[in-house]
Amino acid sequence: MDKIINDITALDKYLKKMIVETLRLDDINPQEIDSTKPLFKDGLGLDSIDALELVVAIEKNFNVIIEDEDVGKKAFASIKALSLFIQETFQNKQ
Amino acid sequence: MRWVETEEIVRFNEVDEWGMAWYGHYMAWFEAGRLCLLSQFDLRPCQMVELGYIAPVINLKCDYKQSARCGQHIIIRTTVIKPEITALIFNFEILLKEDRVLLAKGETTQVLLTCDRKMIYRLKGELAKRIATLIDFCKKEETVP
Repeated sequence: MDKIINDITALDKYLKKMIVETLRLDDINPQEIDSTKPLFKDGLGLDSIDALELVVAIEKNFNVIIEDEDVGKKAFASIKALSLFIQETFQNKQ
Repeated sequence: MRWVETEEIVRFNEVDEWGMAWYGHYMAWFEAGRLCLLSQFDLRPCQMVELGYIAPVINLKCDYKQSARCGQHIIIRTTVIKPEITALIFNFEILLKEDRVLLAKGETTQVLLTCDRKMIYRLKGELAKRIATLIDFCKKEETVP
């Protein structure tokens, strides 16, 4: 997992697949998700319960904790933002 | 799984023109069951507010099996299941008191927000402690009286 976290392109790809699988977004191809668009509302159109499921998936996969909506707003701004958030949090723990 | 039981009577103002309990009223019975269970763990809505949280319902399911009629005594059974996400999930069963025939079963999901309406993704402090006690209680095997 360390290898994926340190490679932003691989992490980006991993996260897209993880989101589609976790939230059972059967009609979305992970490769077609725009890394710069918001995950909620206008972008992927996720809702608050999806956020709770993603928080669990991120903790399980990366051991990175997203405490609340304030942190979530920053982390879930886009796939790109989420990748950077995971990288930063992970590196700070090392 | 352990359930708490609450008794109610079907009142005249709760039935429809056909003499059957109005479908929407089952939610009020679920609420009575929820309050009965939460009260045992100091988690009534006002006590949650004292801790700085609210818990709005974001999902509700109800399966109707048989109709309750005016004057009948019913039992509302309530329990909580442990969700993977940070939420409170209640399960309900409504039985006829007389023969314990299942009338309806339901489920509600509540998310947890701070009083200034920010969703929390992880439980902590006193709220986490009280919810853990509630979940542990409900997880235990039911003892036959």
